[in-house]
Amino acid sequence: MSDKLEAYLEEISHFLSGRAEREEILSEIRSHITEKAAEGPGEFTDAAIEKAIAAFGPARKVAERYLDESRPLIAPAYKRFLVRYTSLLFTLHAALTVLAVFLKEELVLFPLLYIPRLSFIDALIYLPAAFLTDLGAVALVLYFITQSGKDIKLPWPKFGIDLDEVKPPAKSFWLSRVATAVGAVIMLAVTDLALYLFARHQTIFFINLDSDNLRPLFTPGPGRRISLIVIAMFAVSTMALLVKLVTRSRWVDVVSNTISLALIGLILTQPLDNLFAAEIAEKLQKHPPKVASWAKNTILITLLFIALMIAIDLVKNIVAVSRKKLAKGV
Amino acid sequence: MTDKTQNEPDIGSLVTEMNRGFLHILVLALLEKDMYGYAMVKHIDTLGYKVEENTLYPLLRRLEKNGWIASKWDLTEDRPRKFYAITREGRTLRAGLLDVWKNQNRVLDEITKEISHV
Repeated sequence: MSDKLEAYLEEISHFLSGRAEREEILSEIRSHITEKAAEGPGEFTDAAIEKAIAAFGPARKVAERYLDESRPLIAPAYKRFLVRYTSLLFTLHAALTVLAVFLKEELVLFPLLYIPRLSFIDALIYLPAAFLTDLGAVALVLYFITQSGKDIKLPWPKFGIDLDEVKPPAKSFWLSRVATAVGAVIMLAVTDLALYLFARHQTIFFINLDSDNLRPLFTPGPGRRISLIVIAMFAVSTMALLVKLVTRSRWVDVVSNTISLALIGLILTQPLDNLFAAEIAEKLQKHPPKVASWAKNTILITLLFIALMIAIDLVKNIVAVSRKKLAKGV
Repeated sequence: MTDKTQNEPDIGSLVTEMNRGFLHILVLALLEKDMYGYAMVKHIDTLGYKVEENTLYPLLRRLEKNGWIASKWDLTEDRPRKFYAITREGRTLRAGLLDVWKNQNRVLDEITKEISHV
């Protein structure tokens, strides 16, 4: 028997693994190919076998024809719920994660969610994993519903956001491009100005607007580091807008959001002690110590708020990208 | 440009859809006489129709699973061959499918005549 035929059957067998009638299927394919190869002009040769195999089709495609008849993992009617329920669950998960970071406590929503005590950086690593867990959990439930074969009407609250129904107002091609171009020019100017200020003063944060006598807000070390990170964030936004002139892909937003979140995380890892320049620090010391910590907390809360806004936008973009992929896969 | 590409008819996938039903009737009609897979492919070929080999065998398996055809291996020749034959349930199904098919053809004929008179 031809080695090529055996290799071909072995490959089909691999894709059919787990099927009880696998041997029967392979015997029939073997019978067909040998029959066809023997009938051609000349003898029963490897070349004839090869030709018969080519006519029968690639192993994976052949196996899939046999697997077609089986029930899908998730019925088409329930696929929309994969996105809907994952969006809901992950929104809850993300909100509780932000709360856990802010309270510096672990949170349990038995038996659905457990969020350990996390730092901001931990949360950035935790959230993508949480998204995959939520997606997997919802997929598992829908899988069992599909396999049960019952017509179960899944609930979906009226007040829930259905991304299919939320469509951005239709803008003309040129209008949206012009808006993006204007945004890109503004961000480019902001980034340039920030770079110019940084090159001259080693910081972009000041307590006055007197261009002849600019006084820095932060001490030189932290001021330089935080300025560089903020300039990087400006640059990322500028780049995203420039790329969006060429493509409207949501992936641009996903990447831009992720980098921005990582940069905010980087700011939060900077030590905030001795943050303010001597002039401000002196003013703060005149007041009770609580005022100094209040100033630091205000910066932290502002950063967390910006991070939350970016995270929400990131989730929205990930859901939109996933939905598009699912729709293509249907 | 993109819209135009999206709206262009994909005749290949539509033909595949149409063939799926037709192939059921064709196979059930052919199997009035015992036949093995490769012989069916060749016979259909001589009638001026082409059936994909890797489509025929899974279809035969599904029809057999539903009890509309039955099979048995013939080991008396040089090469083993799996012969198929229609069952009583298969004949009933074939009659039903042929009725549907004839009615569809009649409707299409009527409409074609109506269009030609417009």
